[in-house]
Amino acid sequence: MSVSGKDLRIIIAGGGEVGFRTAEFLDERGHDVVVIERDPDRCQEIADEYVATIIEGDATLPDIFRQAGPERADVLAAMSDHPLTNLAVCMIGQRMNPDLHTVMRTDAETGDAHAELVDAVIYPRRASALLAVNAILSGDVRSLEHAMGVLDIAEVRIGEDAPVVGKVLDEISLPEGSLVVSDVEGARVARADTVMKAGQRYIVAAEPDVIEEVMRLLRG
Amino acid sequence: MAQSGDRSPTARLGLLDATMVGMGAMIGAGIFVLTGLAAEIAGPAAILVFALNGVVTVLTGISYAELASAIPKSGGGYVFVREVFSGPTSFLMGWMLSFAYMIAGALYALGFSSNFVEFVHLYWAGLPTGPVWHILYALTVVGLFALLNAVSTEASGGAETVVTIIKIIILLVFAGFGAFAVEGSNFEPFFAKDDSSVAILKAMGLTFIAFEGYDLIATVTEEVENPRENIPKAIFISLVATVAIYLIVVWVAIGTLGAEELGRAGETGIAEAATSFMPTIPLLGEGAALIVFGAVFSTVSALNAVVIASSRVVFAMGREDQLPNPLGQISARFGTPLAAVVVSAAVMLGSVVFLPIEQVGRVSSLFFLVSFVVVNWSVIRLRNRRPNMRRPFEMPFYPAIPILAIVLNLVLAYFLLRDDPYTLVLGLGWIAIGGLVYAALQWRGAETARAET
Repeated sequence: MSVSGKDLRIIIAGGGEVGFRTAEFLDERGHDVVVIERDPDRCQEIADEYVATIIEGDATLPDIFRQAGPERADVLAAMSDHPLTNLAVCMIGQRMNPDLHTVMRTDAETGDAHAELVDAVIYPRRASALLAVNAILSGDVRSLEHAMGVLDIAEVRIGEDAPVVGKVLDEISLPEGSLVVSDVEGARVARADTVMKAGQRYIVAAEPDVIEEVMRLLRG
Repeated sequence: MAQSGDRSPTARLGLLDATMVGMGAMIGAGIFVLTGLAAEIAGPAAILVFALNGVVTVLTGISYAELASAIPKSGGGYVFVREVFSGPTSFLMGWMLSFAYMIAGALYALGFSSNFVEFVHLYWAGLPTGPVWHILYALTVVGLFALLNAVSTEASGGAETVVTIIKIIILLVFAGFGAFAVEGSNFEPFFAKDDSSVAILKAMGLTFIAFEGYDLIATVTEEVENPRENIPKAIFISLVATVAIYLIVVWVAIGTLGAEELGRAGETGIAEAATSFMPTIPLLGEGAALIVFGAVFSTVSALNAVVIASSRVVFAMGREDQLPNPLGQISARFGTPLAAVVVSAAVMLGSVVFLPIEQVGRVSSLFFLVSFVVVNWSVIRLRNRRPNMRRPFEMPFYPAIPILAIVLNLVLAYFLLRDDPYTLVLGLGWIAIGGLVYAALQWRGAETARAET
């Protein structure tokens, strides 16, 4: 599935730390997010951040899940702590909308066991462990994620109809707090005469406030 | 470095700023342009007309507050309806709402030119007048503000706040001096004719756009700090404060000039009322100049607000593929929704030239009424379909409020259209054009999908 060039509608089941941060990053990029969360207090906390529409309830109940609008959604990310709950949610989602792209959070014990049933499987805890290793063995090279703080450094594919296609960087007015770092496919550092080509990938750095606008310029 | 970002990101808006966004759009437009019209139809009861319109608007404002607190997206009414209704309904909503803003813009532009001529004539009688010149001034001001919004992201919240506070102060000065000149006899008889209730309902429909603009607060939600609390607050405060200011100003205008005289003066009614009682102020000369300046200033800032509002709706529709995709793109050169601004301005310019001002105002009022019906309906539908959705602001007295709002809006629409088939034809005509555009977009979308597979 191509995720360039359009605002997506994304359902996130499970509004814990991982689910909520995912919602926040997606909102910053201009996507529409619906979070389904069971715990009322947690719902309140997420509502305060104003990044997503929130459905309060158990996502494995069809009556609750339906309220997130799966028929119109593009992606479903099941992000709770329990792999089997996540699997159930993905199955419900696929039944209600066969075109839904499903992302399932799992853990090391469950592993790739369900990989053929969903579109993608992720292991947030393994990723965290890798970060911990980076920190423990801190040498001259550190992982990008660890170093960047709030700054978002992303590889962006330029959308076919994006406003910037065919323009050189010098004629593009990016918002303050953003920077195109590298040339096509990360081969060269970007300069004023770098041309933005449709379908090519560029490394871009942006502060959270302006990510949405930058993404709209680059992806369309 | 050439490629580093050089445009400032949008400022964060506090409660005061958010409130001023709403008041800025509401004050200036209606109060100068529509007071005369209301007085002409309803006599001194014009004051009742504005009070009742305020009540009707507050009801819908409550619905807006509930939706805006639960759906964290910029774009206002259209976006909420898009969340709840099917493609055609939400398209129609966006189509009507954007047009309503555009023709409101045309109305404000014409109001601007009348007051502008009045203002310049206080100092220099040589400024040419006449219908053609008025249209020319209106076109110029629309073009100017379209250009401003096309080349730079809108003025930061702070600047808008200052502008609005100045407008409010000017109106309070008007009310302060005028209050001493009010004559009770001007309010007798309070009701204009025998069929006074019909006259009031008709005047309400015609001047409904007066309180248009608080929904702008909902279109900038993402820029507001702590929006869950501040958006509903800003909507209420701006509505209540605006209604209060309207009532004071209308009371003074009728009390000093008399309803008949005010009705005859039309768009320059407030200015003429000011001429009758304002003292001479040092430097400015005649005190009325301050009020006329306020009128010019206010219509300009209200015009700016609707240019932003209409282009935001067009932009949101473009992003949802409910209008051609380029309209939903921001310009790489300027970082603004350039295409959406240009299209909005083009329709405004067309309305200024080709549509008579009264008709323009009526169609705008009609579309606002209809789209408010849909917004209230959205609240009811969302409550039914998504009972478990978090509603950080949950309205009291549900479902009485949205049902009452729907009924009242429909009643006003009925009286607006009752003896005015031309407005209905114009409205239906625009909806029919929308139907064709929608069908064409659907057809083209299907073609593209086929080409891709």
